[in-house]
Amino acid sequence: MSVSATIARQPILAVLALLWLIVVAGLIIVAPETLHAYTMTTVLQFSTILALVALGQSLVILCGGAGIDLSVGGAMSLTAVLAALASKGGAPGWTLPALCLLIGALLGALNGLLVTRVRILPLITTLGTFYLYSGLAVAVTGGAAIGRAPAWMIGWGRGQLGAIPLPFLTTALPAFAIAAVFLGATAWGRWIYAMGFNEASARLCGVPVDRARMLVYAISGACAGTAALVSLSWLGSARPNIGANLELTSLAAAMLGGIAIFGGRGGVVGVLAAVILLVTLQTGLLQLNVNATWQVGVVGLLLILVLLVDHVASRRA
Amino acid sequence: MRRISVFGGRELTLLVACLLVAVAASAASPFFATVDNLSTVLRNSVELMIIGLGMTLLLAMGGIDVSIGMVLGLAALAVGTLVAAGERPFLPILAGPAVGALLGLLSGAVVVLGGIPAIVATLGLLGVYRAAIFLLLGGRWLSGLPPTLTNVLSLNLLGAPVATIVIAAIYLAAWLALRHTPYGPHLLAIGNGEEKARLSGIAVRRVRIATFVVSGLLAGVAAVFYVSTYRNVAMTIGGNIALEAIAAAVLGGSSITGGSCSLLGTALGVILIRLLQNGLVLVGVPSLWQTVVTGALLLLVLNGEELRRRLSVSRLFWRPS
Amino acid sequence: MSTLRKKLAFAAAVLAFAAGPALAQEKSVAFVPEIVGIPYFNAMQDGGNKAAKDLGVKFIYSGPVDTNPVDQLQIVQNLINQGVNAIAVSVLDASSIAPVVQAAKAKGSILFTSDSDAPNSGRAVFVAQATDEGLGDTIIDEMVKRVGDNVKIGIVSGEATASNLNAWIGVMQKRAKEKYPKLTLLPPQFAGGTAERAAQLATDLITANPDLKGLIAVASTTCPGVAQAIEGAGKIGKVIGTGYCSPNTVRSYLKSGAMGYSVLWDPTALGYLTVWAGKQLIDGKPFAASNQVPGFAKPVTYDDKTKILLLGDPKIFTKENVDQFNF
Repeated sequence: MSVSATIARQPILAVLALLWLIVVAGLIIVAPETLHAYTMTTVLQFSTILALVALGQSLVILCGGAGIDLSVGGAMSLTAVLAALASKGGAPGWTLPALCLLIGALLGALNGLLVTRVRILPLITTLGTFYLYSGLAVAVTGGAAIGRAPAWMIGWGRGQLGAIPLPFLTTALPAFAIAAVFLGATAWGRWIYAMGFNEASARLCGVPVDRARMLVYAISGACAGTAALVSLSWLGSARPNIGANLELTSLAAAMLGGIAIFGGRGGVVGVLAAVILLVTLQTGLLQLNVNATWQVGVVGLLLILVLLVDHVASRRA
Repeated sequence: MRRISVFGGRELTLLVACLLVAVAASAASPFFATVDNLSTVLRNSVELMIIGLGMTLLLAMGGIDVSIGMVLGLAALAVGTLVAAGERPFLPILAGPAVGALLGLLSGAVVVLGGIPAIVATLGLLGVYRAAIFLLLGGRWLSGLPPTLTNVLSLNLLGAPVATIVIAAIYLAAWLALRHTPYGPHLLAIGNGEEKARLSGIAVRRVRIATFVVSGLLAGVAAVFYVSTYRNVAMTIGGNIALEAIAAAVLGGSSITGGSCSLLGTALGVILIRLLQNGLVLVGVPSLWQTVVTGALLLLVLNGEELRRRLSVSRLFWRPS
Repeated sequence: MSTLRKKLAFAAAVLAFAAGPALAQEKSVAFVPEIVGIPYFNAMQDGGNKAAKDLGVKFIYSGPVDTNPVDQLQIVQNLINQGVNAIAVSVLDASSIAPVVQAAKAKGSILFTSDSDAPNSGRAVFVAQATDEGLGDTIIDEMVKRVGDNVKIGIVSGEATASNLNAWIGVMQKRAKEKYPKLTLLPPQFAGGTAERAAQLATDLITANPDLKGLIAVASTTCPGVAQAIEGAGKIGKVIGTGYCSPNTVRSYLKSGAMGYSVLWDPTALGYLTVWAGKQLIDGKPFAASNQVPGFAKPVTYDDKTKILLLGDPKIFTKENVDQFNF
């Protein structure tokens, strides 16, 4: 696919790429010594968890029905804690990855169930489960980090292939690739866009809206579960508040990446680009020893500016 | 469609829930049903009551403001600085609402003129405001402020604390505005469908911006009470009040998609949340479990009601035109 | 798009390999607090700046906005990438700094801890304000001195996940059990970071326990809330408030009597000592059992077995002496 055709289809990607270039160029001019492979390693390492969680968040928003998942951070914390408890309780180490995926998917499926069967609006459902999951994670542990990841998992969690961290290479990258293909080339993907764009007509066309939505919430949970696995292997233990703040950061990444809040518009490649832009920006500011406070403001400002540009651009078009 | 509810099923449910919590807590702890304790619960509800009212109005028109805690923080910073400088109560009491209203105007302008969905715009503003609080405080907390405001605001007027009178007054004013001025029908019409509202001749933009200003102004009023009660402004101020306000309003029966709201419901929702938090400590449940209970409560109340009601999910937040 | 990004990434990578890290002329010491924007760590920053000027090193102060260990890790990792010679961390979570200890070794940075420790992590030294035992015991002993030992005392902490605060609470509970068997320590309540929540919890504890005689604010963020709750409940003199609070935060409450005393060390001195220790480590000078630090009245002790450099005994602030301090 040619660059120009893709950019014409998704102008947000051009904006993000341009911003990323500005950040990188600015950093290189101000602090040339940061231009090193391990800067890239650091950026990718700290992108992995956010990327995974933002992917789940984006899919939930894409499929419409006022979709949003505020529970992603809570689900991630609770998954890490439950998996660590299971391994303390005697579950063999090799089951941990599967356990994390499964627990995450179940927590996500509970959201899906409440949204599709009981028909509570997603914002409220996931606000409730956000309190529930993050509260449970802290309450059952009393706040302390628990568990000890097996050595092979830590080897993976902290390992690198060349300059690329293994967790990014083996979880985030494939997850985004699969999601992109899934959205672009399968019937399910077309259904998700269709129901996000106009749910009523999607139903009329025979799209199994509720089943698809249920699945997407479970996938978002599984993404959070995978992020929990990455944190377990990287840090070596389960922290009850490891997912704190991710609900809003992942939402910001998804919006910045061009996912429309009403669903049905946007792509996951933009989300990955937005995550990398955000983390590069943070890294850049840290390299220049800028007070971390500014980061909070800059990210907020960036979110508003990009959406303003998007709004103006779509008005012109 | 239910629009501005006065006392309906949801309010009854909440009242019963409050009573249940009260009965259970007084059975388990002899200290619950005392005048001192119950007035403490009310005292702890003041800021959330005031901010919850603004959030209710925003939700009624299909808006939302997740940055409202930071608006409270910035307004409290202004109030606290003036108090620390030894100003007499008059100036700080005016400054809080003024700063709040200005920030509300800014939020409203970004949402309405910028054409950005409210949840996303206020998420961005949350970051900007938070950074502003950090930079303005610069790590030096305002702490142990002189009791300038406390002396005025803890007075009793006509036998009731000032806070109670202020809350009663603003809820009454909001109710009158919703029921007896065009503002109410316009607000709900926008919540039910912005395009239709515009076509029927409503000044959609003006009403929307005005509501953001009112919500900010209320956060500023809450800030005055905050500084008066806690007499400090630390950088974590307002951290979780936005989500609590949304939870209270939704518990109270406001639809998050807009088009309906209940003022009494919000007030009861606030009281239920605070009663529960207070009751749990008195009964001896570790505070770590409080978030779990809040979450479970939210899901339980809504499960019960929503099971019966199918709803259309055509809109959630502002759909910019 | 994907091609464009690939090209950009490739270009960046090529440039990156070509440049390599610039060698810093001036030696640098960094301190990463648990959180920025609170008076306590600001005071440590002031001390660090002063030491940097005295000792001729560059001092970097950088920390997270939330008490989030991953954010802290990211900051430490970036300092390592910058080639900072010595990095002191006030560790949020002892178990999760392991990845950066490895990374620091690989890049030749010296990683050590200050204020909050990560034992068994392979850190070079821990610059301690006081021992956990010293802090926990002092606050309980001072309380018993004021209200007797046959009483009930409540604890309000901040985040349930802060390992250093939990360690202090553990010591308090141990001290109460061993030395004052009649003393009742209520289970700790966790307020998170906000002063408002701390005030609510403290008020509820006072209500639930009419025979409560003391309240301990463990996190410095909970100090104003706890003191305010005692004032608000009209319990001045009946409930004694205390905590690990800086004099500036609780000055007015000490004077009003809501706070009976406060236990803390001088964070400015701790900041100074941290940078001094970093300079010693960079210069490869070993610590002696007793060290003369410029500007310190008393020598600083070092325990070679645990690798702990100890600032000294905690200070006790009261109504009488609080005006001598400004931090």
